[in-house]
Amino acid sequence: MSAESGTLVLMVAGFAGGAGLAFLAPSDRGARLVTALGAIVGCLGGLAAAATVIVTGRPVIAVLPNLVSSAGGIVIGLDRLGALFLALVAAVGLLAAIYGVSYTAEYDGRRPLRFFAVMFNGFLLGMSLVACAANIFTFLLAWEVMAVTSYFLVMTEHESDDTRQAGLWYIAMTHFALVLLLPMFLLMAPSADATTFADLRLGARVLPTAARDGVFLLALLAFGSKAGIVPLHVWLPRAHPAAPSHVSALMSGVMIKLGIYGLIRVTFDLMGGGPTWWGGLLLTVGSVSALLGVLYALMEHDLKRLLAYHSVENIGIILIGIGAGSILNGFGLHALGRIGFAGALFHTVNHASFKALLFLGAGGVIQQTHTGNMEELGGLIKRMPYTAASFLVGSAAIAALPPLNGFASEWLIFQSLLAGTHIPRPEVAIGFPIAVGILALTSGLAAACFVKAFGISFLAMPRSDHAARAQEPHWSMRTMMLLLAGGCGVLGVAAPAVIRSLNSIIDSVPGLSAGEPVAPSPRLWLTMPDGMTQMSPLLIAVLLGAIIVAVALALHVRGLRVRRADTWGCGRIGQTPRMEYTASAFAEPLRRIFSELYRPTEDLSISVHGESRYFVRSITYTSHVVPWFEKAFYEPLTRGVHACATQVRRLQAGYVHVYLLYVAAALVVALASAWWFQ
Amino acid sequence: MLLTALIVLWRKSVPAYITAYKWQSWLLAAVTATIGYFGGDRQLYWVAVVLVALKGVAIPFLLRAMQRRFSALPETKPYVNTETSLLIASLLVLFAYVLARPWVMVSRLPTREGLPLATSLLFVSLFIIVSRKKATTQVIGFLMLENAIGLLAAVGTYGVPLLVELGVFLDALMGFLVMQIFVYHIHETFDSIDVEQLTRLRH
Repeated sequence: MSAESGTLVLMVAGFAGGAGLAFLAPSDRGARLVTALGAIVGCLGGLAAAATVIVTGRPVIAVLPNLVSSAGGIVIGLDRLGALFLALVAAVGLLAAIYGVSYTAEYDGRRPLRFFAVMFNGFLLGMSLVACAANIFTFLLAWEVMAVTSYFLVMTEHESDDTRQAGLWYIAMTHFALVLLLPMFLLMAPSADATTFADLRLGARVLPTAARDGVFLLALLAFGSKAGIVPLHVWLPRAHPAAPSHVSALMSGVMIKLGIYGLIRVTFDLMGGGPTWWGGLLLTVGSVSALLGVLYALMEHDLKRLLAYHSVENIGIILIGIGAGSILNGFGLHALGRIGFAGALFHTVNHASFKALLFLGAGGVIQQTHTGNMEELGGLIKRMPYTAASFLVGSAAIAALPPLNGFASEWLIFQSLLAGTHIPRPEVAIGFPIAVGILALTSGLAAACFVKAFGISFLAMPRSDHAARAQEPHWSMRTMMLLLAGGCGVLGVAAPAVIRSLNSIIDSVPGLSAGEPVAPSPRLWLTMPDGMTQMSPLLIAVLLGAIIVAVALALHVRGLRVRRADTWGCGRIGQTPRMEYTASAFAEPLRRIFSELYRPTEDLSISVHGESRYFVRSITYTSHVVPWFEKAFYEPLTRGVHACATQVRRLQAGYVHVYLLYVAAALVVALASAWWFQ
Repeated sequence: MLLTALIVLWRKSVPAYITAYKWQSWLLAAVTATIGYFGGDRQLYWVAVVLVALKGVAIPFLLRAMQRRFSALPETKPYVNTETSLLIASLLVLFAYVLARPWVMVSRLPTREGLPLATSLLFVSLFIIVSRKKATTQVIGFLMLENAIGLLAAVGTYGVPLLVELGVFLDALMGFLVMQIFVYHIHETFDSIDVEQLTRLRH
């Protein structure tokens, strides 16, 4: 056994151990520790394997042909592309596992922690194996393990109605993905016993065009529903808030990225890229998802739902990058296309880091205040300074502010879109600028949204007793957030170095690089191939740092002291939280601008004093945003399913004889059909 | 053997059914022994002996015990009356012959003419289970179905190894015992062995 496959064995053993040994733990606390310990060992194994593969470029291959041999056996083949995603799974998994030890402390004695251990480690194992799989059976098996375990993780707090609803949506959407994956692989597989990815790669060359288009569309729908593209994103804003926060961090930070992984693997690796309209479709879907995701996020006042909608937005941004890269590749501009792909992969890594950070931060808030509703939070920056600082870094990163990582990747995606001017085609000349506009609007709205999320939740005065009593979470949870915040900074400042290693990954996938090696880029600058545009995140960071230091020095020299007073006191004496700006109020202007999209329902009820209507007792204002396409698309669908189910229920008549008759009739029909088709 | 199944459709008392089943089992044993004689397979004699012991003696005995216990219960009407039952049974036999024709044509065994008979016995037994209300009758229908499968195996393959037959016997015996327990339970719960009462279990 080589060292590389040894690390993979360590990974599997770690996850399996974490799942199994939890049953031997004497106490709930022990079970939590064992869960995390197994996950840590597994994640370290995964990280080691991924790092070796990325550095050496030699894929790790392990074949277990005798295990379920009728389905093709278990085939593991970890190449650079898979290693990138395995590294994401393992890195975020490691932090989430450590975070989870304290986060799940409140489940002691109330929930089956050993069952949770199996599901959590199974989830990590499933996700890792998706990135390692190298034949259809292994991929689908890992995919289903991931889907089923994450379903049980979402259902952890199953006593609430919302959670059960979320679970139903989630399991329905995840089955939808599987149902499409099966015909996709069926179309691709050249024969029943040639099911490894290498066979599929060979087979894809001789596929007719229609079949290739079919495979692409199925892949987009199947992986897109996992990734959360509009309109298949409906499960995200339901399932993410329902799951425990470190699980949400994994689901949003990593699991939906495996949808992107699947899409890249099938479309660009196995099929080697396709016609330009594929890229156009990806770009369109990406733009729509990015814009709608952020617009709905703006209207959300629940921290985790807001973050879930931002996942939709970021998946959209990643798809914009992939789409732009694939269009540029289609027109022979491989060097520019590479910028788009590099931006997309970089954004994938970045989103994993800052979205995991934000979910962990939101988890800290929810653990302390027992609510995710921003209208009940406020003032947390004083009570949980570390959490607030990490959350602020994550917000700045997701809002693409320099010098953090979100800025670097979105800059690359912008540049690839601007490169569309090189293509003298009307649809590109119109489409790319529109995409630029949408991406710019998205970034702006995301910034607005996180001003709201951070400002309302962490600043000003607490709006409820819960928020007033909040304290900093356990140090292990804080450390994980700080580590991720540091990661966001490092990824941003070291962007050129990250891009260099991402380029080596792109080189390993012919459909992305088009076989053209890249010219080595400078160490400190992100440059466009035409040399016209370049940007150095490090210099920006140094400059910003210098400005801050200079201002601080100037203030110090002028002898200004810190004076503590009420913010926006306005000379009033008694300030109450009721005077504060609310999240709804903050989002109100945008809701008016986009009212056509939101179709808000408003309800204003004023109860007045009995004596005179000029004395108001209370005013209640409620407003709900109605996602109209959810209504338009999913309501008829669910109604139809209900109607079918009611019809099918008639089969269950309750008479034993009728059931027996079914058996007899089935036998007769089967025999008769055999006779018919002979 | 087919006639014994038709007896069930035609007669109305449970003891007659049991007798019919007993005869059917004896006949099955005889068929197996005959195949053993002409095929020169000594094992099949043993199969025949076990068949007689189990299906010809033991199960009818148990069935009679069960019948004595419930003899006081009123007879219930089947879903389909006798005339229609016989008509449907004849249609099923016809269907079985049509179905088994290609099979008979490709088969080279001397027993190939028995194939449609075995298939029709299968269908008729199924029809007994479906159309009769009393749990005891249904159990007999099931046992006849089992006989039909045994016959099909015997004539279709010119004798089945003892080991396979033993497995099938045990299956049938276990199935029968489980059903017997079920019948007792149904009786306790509903004071009747009319399975129509089970409808009340529906939500």
